[in-house]
Amino acid sequence: MRKQNWAWRRGPLALLAAVALVVAACGADEDPVDEAPADEPAEEEPAEEVEDEEPADEEPADEEPADEEAAGVEVTRVGVAAPEEPTDFGWNQAGIEGAERAAERHGAEIEVAGGLGYEAPVSTLRQLAEESQLVFAHASGYGVAAKEVAEETDVPMIVYDSPDSREPGVSAFVEVDAFEGGYLAGIVAANMTETGTLGIVVSATADFNWAMHSGGFIDGARSVDPDVEIVAASIGEAAYADVEGGTRVTESVIASGADVILGNGDGSAFGIMRAIESADDDVWYIDVIGDKREVDDENILLSGIFWDFGAVYYEAIQDVEAGTFGEENYSMSLANEGIDLIQTENIPDDVWEQVEEARESIIAGEIDISAPRTFDEVEAMLD
Amino acid sequence: MLSEQLLTALIFGGLAAGMPLVLAGLGELVSQRAGVLNIGVEGMMIMGAYGGFVATLATGSAGMGFLAGGLMGAAVSLIMVVLCVRMGLDQIVVGIAITLGAEGLTSLLHAVQFSDTYPRIGRTIVLSIPWLSDLPVVGRALFGHHPIVYLTLLAAIFGTWALQRTRTGLAIRAVGERPEAVDAAGVSVVSTRTLAAMTAGVGGGLGGAFLAIVNAGNFIPFMTGGRGFIAIVLAMLARGRPLWVVVGAFLYGLSVSLATALQLVGVPIRTEVVFSIPFALVLIMLVLFGRNAYLPSALALPYHRGER
Repeated sequence: MRKQNWAWRRGPLALLAAVALVVAACGADEDPVDEAPADEPAEEEPAEEVEDEEPADEEPADEEPADEEAAGVEVTRVGVAAPEEPTDFGWNQAGIEGAERAAERHGAEIEVAGGLGYEAPVSTLRQLAEESQLVFAHASGYGVAAKEVAEETDVPMIVYDSPDSREPGVSAFVEVDAFEGGYLAGIVAANMTETGTLGIVVSATADFNWAMHSGGFIDGARSVDPDVEIVAASIGEAAYADVEGGTRVTESVIASGADVILGNGDGSAFGIMRAIESADDDVWYIDVIGDKREVDDENILLSGIFWDFGAVYYEAIQDVEAGTFGEENYSMSLANEGIDLIQTENIPDDVWEQVEEARESIIAGEIDISAPRTFDEVEAMLD
Repeated sequence: MLSEQLLTALIFGGLAAGMPLVLAGLGELVSQRAGVLNIGVEGMMIMGAYGGFVATLATGSAGMGFLAGGLMGAAVSLIMVVLCVRMGLDQIVVGIAITLGAEGLTSLLHAVQFSDTYPRIGRTIVLSIPWLSDLPVVGRALFGHHPIVYLTLLAAIFGTWALQRTRTGLAIRAVGERPEAVDAAGVSVVSTRTLAAMTAGVGGGLGGAFLAIVNAGNFIPFMTGGRGFIAIVLAMLARGRPLWVVVGAFLYGLSVSLATALQLVGVPIRTEVVFSIPFALVLIMLVLFGRNAYLPSALALPYHRGER
């Protein structure tokens, strides 16, 4: 299995862009500087250069209808595109490692493009599509571009924007039943709190996965103690990397009395962890998506809602080969182990038994869990 | 509702959130007064954040971290000095290049050094002002901060005096207005602008270092999140008055804390509205004060001796 990691490319690309801008600045200065204001058109040149690199418009669009994909294709290589480095102990790392597991299980090669940001994924997705039979566009901001490239290249893509983005042979959405993991985390939190107050911190108000984790957490905690106090705060509308905001908001949540905190953060999760580590009293942290046990130096990690993309990505590969890709959306849940709760030594056995019982009940469909889609809906649950 | 502990945390957090903007904004103000529009302050902040974090991690001393952060910012500002002040290239283009380059470089360095471990710095030392820090609610919030906070406030007062009352301050203001007149008077425009641009570098670097060492205890790529650009706006709105930078930055920081407070108290306002408060505040400031904002007439214009 050959693995090419593009995580390093983003930094050099930014440096190249910087050099290009300096060169552009030199060009701007060739003009007489009599009254040369700063807003000479030279500064727009680099943007044009970047656009020129994209061959999008010159390439003839493939006229093949999407339905032709249904014939099925042998998958020998898959591609995965992610906005951040695959070293964040969160969304990006979990997605890329899941894709690697799926590729290895199938015997396919994998091309990894990490650290792409959100601004311009089209050219990278197109490159991945040229060399692969299936691409995992692993970011909720890539959906439109991914679907466009999938239609253009006839290479199907997994997207995360909306369940409505499914189109047979072209794209399919991965629905994550994040609320199930949140419910189990809530059970642990309500059992472990000393102050009777739990906290929720999210890095983005519009992130529906954060909302679903939080909704499940509230339900799970209240199933143990209906009177448990829960406070919630968001760092920002899309403050995924705002590590300072993570620290600041978490300190306020702790000051509200919370001693177990569910932190939905990404990069800002490290700010949440820092606030908990620096707290005067003992505070527990429950993480989401990745597994941060490796970086839990102060032993604050109580648990984590873990996402395993491997199973659904493998299922998607099989569907491409069978020609059935996109006929249904994919789902990650407790039932197929796409969602799980990390068991640490900080969780007492009797609490874990409650978790196991709840897990079985959820899989059996015996528990109805709230699945809010926005942070406003989460706050409404707390009213 | 708001307990005393929560109120303290909110006020403390708001002031701490404003501090990187104070440091970067003060440096930017000096630079703008000298006619150098330092768009690259965001890049200087991220380099300062990286340098400060690495130095603190290596030495265990936040003081060394601040020293490294300031030096890192100054080093990056040398690019501005060489390309814009000395060679007269476009300040906006070079400033953007500095920001992009610094973000790329620090991302790369972070990936190499810290992406497997994500080390964190514990809480830094706090200088509690006797008696005042014992006051209820505001005591710890206002008078229990890292020593650099008090030093920065003193620097803002000193800067106000220095810009108005010293020959160097006069020279800085003059090269931002009529550099040719200053040149004719025998004062070096290039040296004066170099000093001002490097002051912006040091300010940006210290602001980034404060962000990484005191506020976040972490370094992660892109962690400045546009704060450098907010500092540029604050410096412009301050109309050359350092204390206005301090007021504007703390107002912004407190409004960020207010957004958190509204959520924790459970005020039924949509989060979109809550998070627009800091930016709405900047807009209000812009409307109230910005229309009379005075920018130096030679701002962002390169100076070439003998050219008019």
